Amino acid sequence: MNNTLTTTDSSPRKAMLELTNINKTFRLGPADVRVLCGAGLTVFEGEFVALVGASGSGKSTLLHIAGALESADAGSVMFRGQDLSRLSRHSRHRLRNHAFGFVFQLYHLLPELSVLENVLLPAMVCAPWYKACIRARPGKRRALELLEQLGLKDRLRHRPSQLSGGERQRVAIARALINEPALVLADEPTGNLDPKTGQTILDVLRGLHKGSGQSILLVTHDIHIAAQADRVVTLQDGKIVDRTL
Amino acid sequence: MYKIFLCFRYLTRKGIVLFPVLAVWLCVMMLIIVNSIMTGFVNRVRDAGRSLMGDVVIQSDSMAGFPYYRQLQKRLALLPQVKASTPVISGYGLFNLPEFQVNTGVQVMGVEAGSESKVSSFGSSLFWQYKAPMQAVADLRGAGFPTTRAKLLAYAQKRLLAAAKTEDARQRHYANLKPIGNHAWLASIRQHWQVIAHEDYQQAVYKENRADRDLRMVQALPNEAFSSAAALRHALVPKAPSFTPPPQAANRYMTGADEPKNGCVIGVDLGLYKRDRFGHYHRPPGVRFSPVIITMVPVTMKATLAQPQSRRFVIVDDSRTRVYAVDSKTVYIPFHVAQKMAFMQRQDLLAGGVRPGRCSEIQVLVRHDSSEANVLAARKAIAHVVHQLELLHPQMEIAGIRVRTWDQVQAEYIRAVDNERNMITFLLGLMSLVVVIVIFLIFYMLVRDKTRDIGIIKAIGGSEEGVGVIFVLYGMLISSAGALLGLITGVWFVRNDNWIHDHILWRIFGISIWNRKIYVFSKIPDQIDPQAVMWIVIFAILAGLFGALIPAILAARQDPVEALRYE
Repeated sequence: MNNTLTTTDSSPRKAMLELTNINKTFRLGPADVRVLCGAGLTVFEGEFVALVGASGSGKSTLLHIAGALESADAGSVMFRGQDLSRLSRHSRHRLRNHAFGFVFQLYHLLPELSVLENVLLPAMVCAPWYKACIRARPGKRRALELLEQLGLKDRLRHRPSQLSGGERQRVAIARALINEPALVLADEPTGNLDPKTGQTILDVLRGLHKGSGQSILLVTHDIHIAAQADRVVTLQDGKIVDRTL
Repeated sequence: MYKIFLCFRYLTRKGIVLFPVLAVWLCVMMLIIVNSIMTGFVNRVRDAGRSLMGDVVIQSDSMAGFPYYRQLQKRLALLPQVKASTPVISGYGLFNLPEFQVNTGVQVMGVEAGSESKVSSFGSSLFWQYKAPMQAVADLRGAGFPTTRAKLLAYAQKRLLAAAKTEDARQRHYANLKPIGNHAWLASIRQHWQVIAHEDYQQAVYKENRADRDLRMVQALPNEAFSSAAALRHALVPKAPSFTPPPQAANRYMTGADEPKNGCVIGVDLGLYKRDRFGHYHRPPGVRFSPVIITMVPVTMKATLAQPQSRRFVIVDDSRTRVYAVDSKTVYIPFHVAQKMAFMQRQDLLAGGVRPGRCSEIQVLVRHDSSEANVLAARKAIAHVVHQLELLHPQMEIAGIRVRTWDQVQAEYIRAVDNERNMITFLLGLMSLVVVIVIFLIFYMLVRDKTRDIGIIKAIGGSEEGVGVIFVLYGMLISSAGALLGLITGVWFVRNDNWIHDHILWRIFGISIWNRKIYVFSKIPDQIDPQAVMWIVIFAILAGLFGALIPAILAARQDPVEALRYE
């Protein structure tokens, strides 16, 4: 079954990310667990898509495959016309660095680095080595702008352990946006936060989407949060079973 | 860029890295200290060996020596490579010091004091004729030159008074030491402090004796000795050492009026002087200028023992070559006396003809002897001269003359010490492999601890190689930091080892590793070998690299998704 989403909108919309017939099986001990079986999903340029599903339905796996963090057993992942499975390792790293921005449920900030350094890290990945010792690190201006926008201007030198959960997640969002990615992949970004803080984070993502037309693929199991996206896609038993335009 | 950045951040913000840094630091420091002390020891032994016998030695296999040595010396003097040469008589004998009831077997060396001093360190090894005047020059340097006799005397008297005062205070302190208590655990501390107090007293006495000696020397100085320190040295140190005692010691001879008056020089470790823990010899008054009887057993040309020959001498000086085997067994007497006592002098034969005088060996000083090639070339030229003379005089050939460089003569001993140094450095180096294991274990733990970080780095675009490089660089940074600290502290320790030993280890903790009573050298010999230090530092940095290599490979291979899920 082909679960590729097609739009019914009259205006032609350009597909950014197309996942077709994705299969993925994990080996857990002696048993094989099939997580995704023929899942398909399309994210259009400037679209905010929410992917919902029960725990263990394969949402995060699909997100990882979409972000070139993990390979599918079968199926194709096309990003702006490029087949990710055909890319070299180096190109995949570049793509993760430039085209995708990841936001995780557990924030995943480096504890030894300050807020500013955490945000700057993706910019440093693609910078030449000799800029390591230059005070004006690449992307510093943009990092400061982002942190100001996200209300963290006075927290630049703080370590992640000195921040609240909401602040950490905002730092993670700033880090995801530092290289101006084409697509933000957010894996349960509010899952570890109280409802109020979660809503604040969602407001930030929505603001980004509305303000600059940032494409976002958000994974959540909370249908109230998903409802705030342009489109909600449901994943069940490894397949896309419902789509809302 | 992020690799270097993360390395520095992990290095400065992870407490656990202190342990591998500490391990590398201690290992590098230990290796530098051990290598430097062993190198210093080997080089001191080599220098001492070389200074004993000059650069090239012409020796006979026969105990009866070899003839035509003067002729040989004349021919050697014509060689451009040869700077000086001196004949030596060597034999066994008995040393009797009647006033102190000392009887011991010794090696008797007959030397020509003047020429021997040019070839070997004999002259500068003499205490009263060289070392004491040199010490006096150093002590009186504070007087400020140029000066006057009155000022110099006043300065010397001031030093003597100060030393006497210190000795007095030390003596009172030592006498007033009260028991601290009868607890067993206090007994050892009390004993240690009493030993230290006694040593301080000994040092005070030593200083006073030295000041007293300096004052006596100043009193006997000519007027021209006050212009500079060099002039003072020139006035105090005789041009050439001598076996002749000063006139004031003439009445100490036990010889009859018709007997020649001879002086002798004793090895400093012959057992007549006590040596304190700091390596100072305490020369009791009365030993110098004491009469002695030396008996030699001559060996005939037919390799039989002849009638023992005894002569009376007076001790004029003592020699310290820093080779214990020499200083504890050797007595030096004038060459011509030794030649007669050993039956090696020129003899008119009853059957007619003359038996030429003989010597045991000729020591040769080579020009530009700092180059080993020069010494070897000189040895070859000397051997050629010896061979030519042997063709002229077959008696020389029978004597079995061997021409060897100083290190060939001492090869066995030097090789043994050299091997010892290499073996100790190798064993310690082997032990230092523990560093690699320590770094491996800590990095293995670190990689596990940083698993999620690895996932994050990969998620934001870090490559496998990049992650691997972070940990390899991290390992090298840790080992470099440890190596740098080890280098600085190791070199500092080596430069201050004697002070650390005496003032910290011994005085505070009561630990004495380098007991100068036992060792030949009064200071811990140390010499930093830059090449060896460089290899130690390179080895340490590579150890960090190897220790971090496997964990770095594991980190690089980490699946990013699994790494992100790691808890």
